[in-house]
Amino acid sequence: MPLRVRLTLWYGSALATVLITFSVVLYVITARNLRDDVDESLKETAATAVRSLEERGFLPLLDEEDLLSQFPELARIDKFFQIFSPSGTITIRSPNIKRYEVPLSQKALETAFLGQSLLETTKYPNEPQLRLISAPITYRGNFLYYIVQVGTSMESIEDTLRHFFILLTVAVPIALAVSLAAGWFLAGRALRPVDAITLAAQRIAGGDLSQRLAMQTAPDEIGRLVETFNNMIGRLEASFRQIRQFTSDASHELRTPLTVMKGETELVLRRARPLEDYHTVLESNLEEIDRMARIVDELLFLSRADMGAVKIELLPVSLEELVEDIHRQATVLGQDRTIEVVLGTIVPARVQGDELRLRELLLNLVENAVKYSNPKGKVTINLITEGQQAIISVTDQGIGIAPDNQHKIFNRFFRTVEARTHTKKGTGLGLAICSWIAETHKGCISVQSELGQGSTFTVTLPLAPRPA
Amino acid sequence: MRVLVIEDETKVGCFIKRALEEESYAVDLCEDGAKGFEMALATNYDLLVVDLMLPSMSGMDILRAVRRERIQTPVLILTAQSQIDQRVKGLDAGADDYLTKPFAIDELLARVRALLRRGVTESLGILQVDDLVLNLATREVTRSGQRIDLTLKEYALLEYLMRHTRRVLTRPMISEHVWNQDFDTFTNVIDVYVNYLRNKIDRGRTKKLIHTIRGSGYMLKAD
Repeated sequence: MPLRVRLTLWYGSALATVLITFSVVLYVITARNLRDDVDESLKETAATAVRSLEERGFLPLLDEEDLLSQFPELARIDKFFQIFSPSGTITIRSPNIKRYEVPLSQKALETAFLGQSLLETTKYPNEPQLRLISAPITYRGNFLYYIVQVGTSMESIEDTLRHFFILLTVAVPIALAVSLAAGWFLAGRALRPVDAITLAAQRIAGGDLSQRLAMQTAPDEIGRLVETFNNMIGRLEASFRQIRQFTSDASHELRTPLTVMKGETELVLRRARPLEDYHTVLESNLEEIDRMARIVDELLFLSRADMGAVKIELLPVSLEELVEDIHRQATVLGQDRTIEVVLGTIVPARVQGDELRLRELLLNLVENAVKYSNPKGKVTINLITEGQQAIISVTDQGIGIAPDNQHKIFNRFFRTVEARTHTKKGTGLGLAICSWIAETHKGCISVQSELGQGSTFTVTLPLAPRPA
Repeated sequence: MRVLVIEDETKVGCFIKRALEEESYAVDLCEDGAKGFEMALATNYDLLVVDLMLPSMSGMDILRAVRRERIQTPVLILTAQSQIDQRVKGLDAGADDYLTKPFAIDELLARVRALLRRGVTESLGILQVDDLVLNLATREVTRSGQRIDLTLKEYALLEYLMRHTRRVLTRPMISEHVWNQDFDTFTNVIDVYVNYLRNKIDRGRTKKLIHTIRGSGYMLKAD
């Protein structure tokens, strides 16, 4: 069942319960009040009549005209009255009762002998109810002379109650219907943004992540839902875009060596050729295989790092020993291209880290410095401490990086045009790995560079706390 | 037929150039986008083979710029992306065909042949002048049904002449379409090759097809 229907039904049944209870209570109270009023009025009238008759003492009552002339106050009452003898026979009755025989009941007579009044209700066919009070008139409080009965028809009360009942039975369903309609409308209005969200979510589920929920949102529940939803889709879109970019870059980087291998191999196989030609192609293929193997290794490392599957063991590492070790390796690397690798300022520094990863980080930076240097260039490695930080810098005099590209070089697969022109080697993943290693050591990596002048890569790592 | 290859991956560019040269095309290779575009403007190439990802100017930009200059040379784009939208964008920007890396050499050559055949009215890719027939697909040349064996350069020269029959072809025009940019136009190599062709096609026949237009160049015609 749709939420809108359910909301309306819940609301409707709650309202119906309230309305019906209210109506019943109201009806009952009203009816009782009206009856109480009648009883009160009967009692008062009877009391007046009793008082008047008792004050005059016993009088032979002949007929009502005689009575009314002697007791004008009795003529003023809007009710009928009868006066019975103690034997229960009617002596006098008021003119407005002539139509009916209303005998004194046995119970009223007994009560009168006890000197008390009695309220009764009687009913005659096809007539409204009658409410009667029978009160004794006594001499000095114990001798019963007469019994005065005052009565009134309940017709007007019954009419009033009947009208009231009809009013309630008509008005309550109408009020309920109007409220249900209003409830339906309001529920629809309140739920309209939910429908819009559903539609947008369906479009997004259909693959269009650029969709957003566009609606003027008040800072209410729906507004917050819309905002949360949009934020979530935004993050999803960003990560999807990142993954798509990454996959496309990775496939491009892998397709290039494949293209070379396929093309060169097919070409050399098209006809018989001298042996050197095959040799050249195989050597070239080997180079491409190495390149692909390296890309695959680095991609694997990065995707494992992304998943948090790369273990980093934090142990005390002496950075100055590491730097000196790397310097020895880099000197050999530089020799082929007459690039000098020198140590600048080196101070002792200990950090908590994974020595293998830190070695990879520094070796990558120094290799890059050698790779992108021009022959006869110089690469300088410095290690200093500043406060609680160890700062390692690798400076070269190589091709440099344009300012626009300086923040992009840590992105996966990004290589500047200059770097691509300078050397075909390099996967575009090395600095992304360096950046990841620095960050997992709670450090950071940055670059200062000028195009054509050279670059300085700086790694900052927190020093190990001194042993106490 | 002279082809410009704009490809920044040196090895890819090299094997494409070599494969095309082995099919008698004259090939220029350029590794930079902007420079490649200048070359495309400066020389009247018969075909451009353009990689989409290039330094300094993307393949797509070259394509648009070339078409803006009203150069109708067929363009074959090379792309590493297999995504459909890249190919669609390329074709919409005026490319005539595309190849996704890695590709087969045979497919590359077949597509190049197909693109160069577009100017030829013969649907089967056969050029014919009188009883001289050149089959572009099989590279077979016959006269009066007799097979004529030609070297790569001779074939390239004959193809160019047969594509432009009854028109005066100057030596610079011939060198531009049959030889690549390393060719020295001041030598008489063209005259030498025209003579080779004459020996194989016209010698001993009453009806000569290759005519010398004094002071301007050569013309191939039947009458």
